[in-house]
This record gives sequence, structure tokens and C-alpha cells, in this order.
Amino acid sequence: MPRYIVQRTFPAGLHVPNESGAELCREVVERNAAEGVTWVHSYVSGDGRKSFCVYDAPTPEAIRKTAALNQLPVDQITQVRVLDPYFYVGEGV
Amino acid sequence: MADVAVRDQGSARRAGESLLEREQQLDTLERCFDEVRAGDGRLVLVSGEAGIGKTTLVRRFCDGDAMDSPVLWGACDGLRTPRPLSPLIDIARVTGGELQVALDRGEKPAGCFDALRRELERRRRPVLVIEDLHWADEATLDVMTMLARRIERVPALAIATCRSDGGPGSEALGDALGELQTVAAVTRVDLAPLSPSAVGVLVDDAQLDLQAGELHALTSGNPFFVHEVLASGGRRLPATARDAILARATRLSADAQAVLEAIAVVPPRAEVWLLEALLGPRIALLDECLACGMIWADGAAVSFRHELTRVAIEERIAPHRRVGLHRAVLAALLEADGVQVDAARIAHHAEAADDRGATLEFARIAAQQAGASGSHREAAEQYRRALRQSAGLDPAERAEMLERFAAECHVTAAWPEEEASLREAVECHRRLGDRLGEGRTIRMLAGAIACKAPDPERVRATLFQAVEALESLPPSLELARAYLGIASSFLATEDAEPAFAWAERSRAAADGLADPEFESRALGITGSMEWLLGRPDGRTRVERALAIALEHGLEDRAGLEYMGLAELAVRLRDRAGVDRLIAEGLEYCEAHDLDMHAHYLYGFRAWLELDRAAWDAAAESARVVIADRRASPDARLIVLVVLALVRARRGDPDVWPLLEEAAVLAEAPLGDISCAMVACARAEVLWLEGREGEVAAATDAVLATVAAKPWVSGDLLWRRRLAGIDDRAGPHAGSGVHALVLADRWADASEQWQRLECPYEAALAAIASGDGPLLEGALVKLRELGARPAAAIAGQRLRELGARVPRGPRPRTRANPVGLTGRELEVLELLAEGLRNGEIATRLVVSGKTVDHHVSAILRKLDVQTRTQAAAEAVRLGLTA
Repeated sequence: MPRYIVQRTFPAGLHVPNESGAELCREVVERNAAEGVTWVHSYVSGDGRKSFCVYDAPTPEAIRKTAALNQLPVDQITQVRVLDPYFYVGEGV
Repeated sequence: MADVAVRDQGSARRAGESLLEREQQLDTLERCFDEVRAGDGRLVLVSGEAGIGKTTLVRRFCDGDAMDSPVLWGACDGLRTPRPLSPLIDIARVTGGELQVALDRGEKPAGCFDALRRELERRRRPVLVIEDLHWADEATLDVMTMLARRIERVPALAIATCRSDGGPGSEALGDALGELQTVAAVTRVDLAPLSPSAVGVLVDDAQLDLQAGELHALTSGNPFFVHEVLASGGRRLPATARDAILARATRLSADAQAVLEAIAVVPPRAEVWLLEALLGPRIALLDECLACGMIWADGAAVSFRHELTRVAIEERIAPHRRVGLHRAVLAALLEADGVQVDAARIAHHAEAADDRGATLEFARIAAQQAGASGSHREAAEQYRRALRQSAGLDPAERAEMLERFAAECHVTAAWPEEEASLREAVECHRRLGDRLGEGRTIRMLAGAIACKAPDPERVRATLFQAVEALESLPPSLELARAYLGIASSFLATEDAEPAFAWAERSRAAADGLADPEFESRALGITGSMEWLLGRPDGRTRVERALAIALEHGLEDRAGLEYMGLAELAVRLRDRAGVDRLIAEGLEYCEAHDLDMHAHYLYGFRAWLELDRAAWDAAAESARVVIADRRASPDARLIVLVVLALVRARRGDPDVWPLLEEAAVLAEAPLGDISCAMVACARAEVLWLEGREGEVAAATDAVLATVAAKPWVSGDLLWRRRLAGIDDRAGPHAGSGVHALVLADRWADASEQWQRLECPYEAALAAIASGDGPLLEGALVKLRELGARPAAAIAGQRLRELGARVPRGPRPRTRANPVGLTGRELEVLELLAEGLRNGEIATRLVVSGKTVDHHVSAILRKLDVQTRTQAAAEAVRLGLTA
């Protein structure tokens, strides 16, 4: 399953109220699951205007479909692979 | 209460007990039935390994005290080649009526399904049970799929049982099940083995001195085996679960065992009259067998309580005795007086009895019956069986059988076997000196080759062979058909002159001999070619071809004409009535099982939606075809290109892999037209990525091959122009919008694209113009369409002109960060405009109380105290204009 970064812009800033937060997130996860989409996590800018969301999904279309269902904007979808500092470190080092 | 076909003595005994570890599943069935009582139909799929208790569960549900509905019961039979629609036959035995009529008339699955549906509607909230789907024939699977799709509107509860542990025929079943499970009204119930404690309960009930843990290990918790061991009443555990089954049998007298063996050899049920014929006086021992509990009776027939038992008993019979038994069964079936015996059943026994003559005879009949009722896989299987025994058959008969077999292979997409059989048939005809037959089968062979791997050259070569054989005879329809086939191969490569020439020759040869199929095909070919050339009446001709096909019930032909019409309407952008055409075509294909044709229609619909910038719809249509691995390379190519462009135009990733696969498909001899389509897409993607310099290299070669076909080169030239390539010196004459493009009349071209319902192309034409106001309009439009990369290019060009680039619109309605509902947003907007609650209520046509409620929610969510504060907050957050 490919991994994607989804960039979103919230002109008014993303403010999720605390009380409804858990339920909102749960609903998002459920709607995603129906399309085989997994929301891994998101990086949100301080002012809440931009977010970079990490997703595992079968196709870009599935991401757009769940975005529409969850009323989330989509600016850009990029396919990515994870790279971390230890990626190239061999065994026995 | 129940017009159930079988009554079970065993369950009467256990009626008082509850089924162990099945409460949850019974609950699910109850819940589904509640929904049925409320008016919505439901389908429940009960699955699990053999012996897990699927039938027991369903019986328990149907026999329950609360069951006040009629129950209709049917089962798929376990013959190696199942009788078509056997569960419906079971049901019709009880219902009679329309269903019986439909089956007697040999109607196709669709007709039988309609009759079944009417029988269901006639009863109050009935329960329909179809057992053993893993043995279902193709026609039954079709009916099940139709049932699943429409069950919501049929107020009935349908329950289907199915083995989950694989086996033959799994592929077709897997496809059907896959489809079934995507329907919301279908619920799946999986049965798991018993736990050790449940086994313990059973051991205690049986009051046997056995170790529950060991028994559980021996049987893996499989209820059937557990019961068998307990029923055999032994003090020790048998060595294997299989021994447990046979344990009960070995305690019977030798004669009684002979009775069991006779029953075992006749799946799924053995009629009593048949057993009488087989066993003579030993039939009296039937009671002893019934008493031992391994078989049960339902009036006219007996069967084993479980298929596993039957298989165990059957396998135990020594081979020579088994053959002898089958011979006896065969003789009895053939002599049966006044009883309708099904050919498939006779063929099964004939083959097992090694009776070549009978196998051949009845397999052929069974094949014809299966083919006529739409079970083509079964028909093909029966023909295979017949052909295995056909060594001594005379060449003419053998050739005929091979041709019929080939026809079934054609419909089930078994291309290699189709080709092999036809080649053999050609040989037979050659040996017989039958040039007409030879010509005909060679022509059919060309058709097979055309489907397997569309290679116009090879198809033509084969057809010339057919022509050679047929030209030695007086003029015939066969010869005309061969000529028409050649014309068709030129249509495939869109070479106008030869296509017309050969079509004319075929018309002359068919003079006075033509039948509707020929006429339809001829019109389709000439009409298509004329339409491509832009001549008037082209489209009308093709429409007439479709009409003729529909009128005369020529299904394959009609499917092909729907495809042809859709393709040209979409490609040539002659879009009048195309939506309705495609919808009708898809409906027709679904009703007549024309899956391959449907794929193309989805592909053209995807293309249409792409042109209209309906990205989601286009991707969805494409997905249908991409997901189906049976789709032909041609159809797959189209949707790969469409999906690639949807992604490229939206700026989404994963574009090039699709185009690369498409390119590979196009190269295999699909020809220049497909290559041109791929090249066009490539050119556009390169341009969107800012790699205009590479467009020439990517398209030069292809352009040369399609230069003489303006209806193909037009789009290619347009993409090249967009990339800044000047082709005006070349010999290309464009027409319509392409002529405008070549003349650099951008505003006109843009308008024309708009009229052709291609807003994206219109915007690109505006970009090409380089004119300020046009660019601005294009930018706005492209943003609206969600075409980011093209919008970015438009913006860039504007900047280069030194013009101001307008800011993007605020996606107000889509981003709703505070979690306000749509309704609450509406209320807030009006509130911010200064309206009072009463006015808002009037405006939105709701009660004042509702508005109060919404306003409270808004204040809470925005974390403010007053309406004024809410209005201010709304403006600050950009929730209102």
C-alpha cells in the first residue's frame, strides 16, 4: 500500500474543539476504513492554516474520496517513502 | 408454515436443545429477518468449512417457533458438472407456477430470476434458502448476483450457504462472492469450529467416557466429526475422523452396506424408484440404514445426512464395483419410464461407468441444454466430456461438436481451447472435402484470433485462407461473411479505402442471401468508416445497425454495436445523446451477460467524463475495468490512459506507471490508433510537468503513422501545438476545432471546445493564446475544475505578461474547522448579516425553536457569549464572506 503526504490549507485555521475532538477523529477513521484508507498522523502548522497529513491508501482517488466525505480540503497529494537517519545503517555496525 | 422440501428426523430429536456456540449467528439471522419484516429484503451468506454446521444453523433458524413465514428451499448439487439452475428446480417443485414454466421453457437466468422474484413477492415475507453455493453452476451464480443486487426491494430473507474451504470452480464463485459482498444488503455469517468446552458439553450429553480435549484435537472442533464419533458410541476414540464416519456403517449388515453404497453413488439424492431398480429385494434394508442415522428420507428420495459421509462411503467402494454400480444406475435411468431424467445426470453416470456411447450421447444433450439456459461454463465442460469419448465419431459429427464447443469456449473466454478446437474442425472439414465447412470454420477461427490478441494482419491472413476455400464454390453467405470480416479488420486499423472496397465486395457476394446479422454488421462497418471520415449519414447507419441487432435479438452483435457507437461518439466528440446511449448499452450488457462489451462502455464513459472534467466520475468508471482482470487489453488501455490523465490534470501522483503499462499494451499489435492515444496523453503530461522540450521526441514517430487519418492526428497535433511545435507546414488537414487550432484562432477554438462540452480543453486553448484576459479566465476556470498543474501554468504565463494573478477563491464550504454542521453554517451566515432568529427561521423554512437550538450550538462551538460576538468571530475565521 503506497504512502502519501496530503497537504491541506485551512484559510480560517484548523481548530478542533476538545470535547468533540475524539469523536470527530473516530468518524474520520471509520469513513477512511470503508475505502481502505489509513490516516497515520498529521503535522499541523502553529496557526492551524496548513497541515501535512501522512496516509496509507490504495490510490490517490481513495484519498480524495475520503477527503470529500470528511469535508477536508486537498491541495496536493505526493507519494512518499519513509527515510530516517538509520535507513542505510547495516547490521553489525 | 414451511413448504420445506426435506424433513429431518434427527433435528426433531434435538429440537429442544440449543445449538452450541451459535447464538450470535442465530441472532444475526433474527436481526436480518427483523429488517425484512420492516420491509427491506436481506441476503445472508453463511460460510464455513465442510461439516461446520451451516445447514444445521439454517434449519434451526427456519424451524424455530417464531418462524411464521413460508420457507422455500433449494440446493446446488454436487455432480461434477452441475445441472443448471438445480436449486431453482428444487424450489419450483414446490411452488410450481411461473417459476416452473420459466424453467420448463429453458429461459435464461434473467427470465428465471424474474419468475423467482415474483414467486417471492407473492408470499408474505418468505425465507429463501439456497444451499451449497460452492457447487453452483454459472446460471445459478448469475441468479444469485441478480438477487443480491435487487434484494433490498424484494421483501424476503434470502440465505445462502457456501463452503469456505476452496475447491474446484472457486474462481467463478470467488468473483460472484466478491460482487455479492459489495452490496450493502448482504450480511456474511462465518461459522467457527467448536471450542473444547463445547465439545465437553456434547461428550457429557452423550454420557460417554471420552476425553473432551482429545476429541477436540482429533476433530479440530468440527461439529460433524464430533457428532459422528459420539454417535458411533465407541468407548475409544477412532484413529482418524474419517474412521468415525465409517464406524457406523461397518456395524450394518453387508446387504445394508450395499444399500448405502448404492445411495452414495447417486449424488445428491437417490430416488426410491431408482434404488428399487438397483437393489431389488434388498431395498427392504433401507429402513435399517435410515435407523442408523446416516441417511434421511424425504418421501420420494433419500440422501446422506452429510456430503462428507457420502464421499467417505463412495471412496471406500472398490473401483470395479463402483463402475458396476454406475452401470446399473445408468441402465436404470435409461429405462426409467414416465420419469424425466436430466441429461447431465445420465452423462455423469455414463462416464463413471465407462460407457463411451452413452457418455457421448448424453453429454452432448446436456451441453446443449446448459448452453441454452446460459450456463456456458457447464456447457463447455460437457462438451469436453463428450469429446473425450469421441474418438470413433465420424468426422462430420466430430466437426460439428468441435464447432459447438468452440462457441461455448468463445463465450467463456477460453481462447486457446477455442482456437485449438476450431483448427481441429478445419482439419475434419478438409478431410471430408467440405470446402464450405472449411471456409466457415476458418472464418470462425479468425474471429477467435481477433478476440484473443487483436492482430489485424494475422486476422486478415486467416480470413484470406477462408476466402480461398469459399471462392471455389458458388457464391454463399459464408463467402460474403469472410469478405466482411476482412473489411472489419481494415476498420480496426481505420484504413478507409480497403475497408470500403471489401465491404462493397461482401455486399455483392451477399446479394439476396443476407440475413439480419450480416446486414447489421455490414451497416456497422460502413457506417463507422463514414462517420470517421466525417461524412453525413455515417452515424445514422451505425444506429440502424444497432436497431437491427436489437430487433432480432442478436445479443453479441448488439453489444458490439453499442460499443462501436459509444466509441465513435466519444472519440469524435459527436456527443448528442451519448449519455443515454451508454446507459442503455450498460443495461443491455448487464441483462445479457456481455461483460467484455460492458468494459468498453465503462471505458468510453470514463473518457467522456474526463473530457467534461468530472474527475471523480472518470476515475470511478476507470476503476471498474482496471479491477477486473478479465478485461481485454484494448479496454484496459483506454481506462489506464483516462486514469493517468485524471491524476495528471489534478496534480496527483502515480501517473507514469499507468502510461507505461498502457504503452506496452498499445505496442502489442493493437496498432497505431492506440499508440496515438497513449502518445497524446504522454505529450499532455510532459507539458503539465513543464517538460515541453520532450514532446517532439515523444510524438514524432507516432504522428507519421497516423498522418493520413485526421480524426486520429487532430488531438496529437493540438498537444504538440500546446508545446510550441509548429506543424502547419505538414500535410495535416484538420477539421472542426482542430482546424481552428492549426490556424491559431484560439478564442474561436476555446469557444468551440466549450460547445463540445470540454471545459478543460477550452481553458488550455485560452492558455495557448497568450492573451491576458483569456488567460485570467482560464486560470479561474482551471482552479474551479481542480486542475492545479494547468492552473499553475496559466498563472505563470500571466506573470510573464506582467499581469496581476488573481488570488484563489476561499474554499469556504469545504473547510469547516470549527466543526459546525452545514445547517449551523447557514444559520451563522444569516446571523452575521444581522437577521434575527425569527427572520432566519422564515428564510430557512424551519421552526423558531430549531433556530434557537442551532444558535446555542454555534455560541458553544465558537466559544462566545453573544450573537454579536459570534458574528465577529465568524468574520475573523473567514467563515463568512
